[in-house]
Amino acid sequence: MVVCTVAIVIVIEDELSLVFSALADPTRRAIVTRLATGAATVNQLAEPFALTQQAVSKHLKVLERARLIRRTRVGKARPCVLDADRLHDAAGWIERHRQLWADRHDRLEAHLHTLLRGESDDR
Amino acid sequence: MTGELTYRRVHRASPELLFDCMTDPEHLAHFWGPAGTSTPVDGIVVDLRPGGKFETTMVDADGGGYTMRAVYVEIDRPHRLVWIESDVEGGMRTTITFTDRGDGHTEVITHQTNVPEAYLSAEARAGFATSLDRFDAYLAGLAR
Repeated sequence: MVVCTVAIVIVIEDELSLVFSALADPTRRAIVTRLATGAATVNQLAEPFALTQQAVSKHLKVLERARLIRRTRVGKARPCVLDADRLHDAAGWIERHRQLWADRHDRLEAHLHTLLRGESDDR
Repeated sequence: MTGELTYRRVHRASPELLFDCMTDPEHLAHFWGPAGTSTPVDGIVVDLRPGGKFETTMVDADGGGYTMRAVYVEIDRPHRLVWIESDVEGGMRTTITFTDRGDGHTEVITHQTNVPEAYLSAEARAGFATSLDRFDAYLAGLAR
């Protein structure tokens, strides 16, 4: 049972590392920000970034692999849409780690109080 | 959002004491384990040198354990401490800086980020080459 849980956690974290490396690039972050306002085609995405369609397609592939975006089909066009679940997972990762360090520092503070009061600690 | 976390905290203690708290198993055992777990001193390995091990085994109420395995990259008492966990999320780098505020307080900033980005910033700094080489050797050893 425990082994299963660990395996799932590792798979999830591995997928998250794809998300984080996809978002490490400023152009891809800008594309995600643009898609947060609604679906867009490759042409529509290429324009504001002064990029070739080829360059945009390359970025989109990375985002698609991280499952941050999906390609849909509207007639002949294949606009991209944001898959917000992934962003929520990433935000969750940051919050979990923040909480871990906050708790750790709470306990460190209590430990420092004990030390600096000069109390003997014979445990 | 790039898989980065910065956590800032001010403590009423010297940078030296705080650095020692973060690197001495006797101290770490008092506060390291996440809520609901404990980290007994005999489950903590600290080999305080670049390339040295930093491992903590956290034990939960049911007796189950989880070991965090990291390798120190930089040790600069009492200013800065860096370690990398190679098997977490594609590699995670943790940097802790201790800044004396001059009023009996020390600001502790914890920064965590994924390794590929950490490599970029590390390359921009002089003096990291040796410890990164050691880390490369460590990773190469793991990959074998």
